[in-house]
Amino acid sequence: MEEEKKAEKRDNKNDQIIWSWGAGTEGQLGTNKLQDELLPQLIHQPSLSSVSHLACGGAHVIALTSGGKVVSWGRGNSGQLGQGEVVNNSLYPKIVTSLDAYFITHVSAGWSYSAFVSDNGCLFTCGDGSFGQLGHGDYTSHCTPFEVSFFANQHVVQVACGMRHSLVLLKDGSQNQVYGFGSGKRGQLGVSKYKIKSINLPEVVRAFEYAEIVQIAANGDHSAALSADGHLYTWGRGFKGFEDVHSPQRLNSSLNFSKATLGWNHALALTGEGEVYMLGGNHLGVLSDHQSMNRAKQIPVDSREANLEKVPGLDGIKISDIATGSEHSVIVTDNGEIKTWGWGEHGQLGLGDTSDQISPITVNCGHDLNEATSIRVYCGSGFTFALTMA
Amino acid sequence: MSYDDVEIEDMEWNQELQAYTYPCPCGDLFQITKEDLKLGEEIARCPSCSLYITVIYNIEDFLQDSHNPIQPSKQQSLSVA
Repeated sequence: MEEEKKAEKRDNKNDQIIWSWGAGTEGQLGTNKLQDELLPQLIHQPSLSSVSHLACGGAHVIALTSGGKVVSWGRGNSGQLGQGEVVNNSLYPKIVTSLDAYFITHVSAGWSYSAFVSDNGCLFTCGDGSFGQLGHGDYTSHCTPFEVSFFANQHVVQVACGMRHSLVLLKDGSQNQVYGFGSGKRGQLGVSKYKIKSINLPEVVRAFEYAEIVQIAANGDHSAALSADGHLYTWGRGFKGFEDVHSPQRLNSSLNFSKATLGWNHALALTGEGEVYMLGGNHLGVLSDHQSMNRAKQIPVDSREANLEKVPGLDGIKISDIATGSEHSVIVTDNGEIKTWGWGEHGQLGLGDTSDQISPITVNCGHDLNEATSIRVYCGSGFTFALTMA
Repeated sequence: MSYDDVEIEDMEWNQELQAYTYPCPCGDLFQITKEDLKLGEEIARCPSCSLYITVIYNIEDFLQDSHNPIQPSKQQSLSVA
């Protein structure tokens, strides 16, 4: 108890607070417990006192500190924690010491693997490599981050990890900005118009000759990219009712998007004006309706804008951040509220029960988040993190 | 309602669980044993939640040779269809 108070004081001193909720039986919530949490839990971890970004995977978390260090916890049975050993699960956040020589600027967590980008543009991957998703030219798994030599002479700025595939964004890449590797069966690599089972070395996604890509995203068998002029491109598994696409398709919309996140059957896109739109999902990011999906499988790709819906019930409130789990969605409003909807069976909505929700509901953190200058949200498959700075 | 239809070749053989597995959106794994497949069972369940998937497979592949179980193929080379 005394310990907890001290930790809280320290957190407050650093003006940063971390909450987590949802599926927790692999230790992924950072609560030092192996159990689900239906309500937001305040995280007391000294090693997480200066987190600048979180990446949440199937059941593990990679945290990036403002000093460029990497901390990981949760499920580790494929080596995805990068701690040099295969562990069933790690309850306590631990520093990934093998990256100590680097200043890490970007991290991503896939289903059972992880990727790290350093300030000098190097890419490192670890975890499950069975589908070539580590990009090392083989199907080997690694429990220590290993540099992807393919990019040795290039400057990587972002990486995005899905269920079994990875995307990489290069700095000043012009025509060769985005690369894909790993499983490609649903078209998620975007490297060929033909069906590719898997590739274990990066190949370029040839679709961005005339666009400057500023953000990439991957989750499930979906891929997405956002251009500097606000266009959203998606490829891979078709969203509800639509066929798979094997090369990036620009969403036919006049909206100016600033951030996109993917689930396993839906996507959220935030506009520069603070409006949030959803692609796929059965109305609101709840589990897809499989029967109607089968019925509607032949809807041609070019009518996809009809599938884009504005998230209702927000009454014009501006949204400042978005995140998507496999089957749930989380948004942050301009007035400091966190709202969730979608699948709730493991408490991933943080509303105190296991119910699903079809429209955004406000999460009660027990703190007035209005005081926070910044609230950011992150989702793993069935769990959620919120990071606030005062 | 089935969460998804998954082909057996997209599932992974898990030695520890002695079952074919596929990621469940809750973070755990959908699982089905060879014995289940031989009986014609096509539902793979997740031990942690209410979801299940429908496994698409050919039962003959599992009845033919019980001593040499078929592993889901993980092709090492690029295959173009």
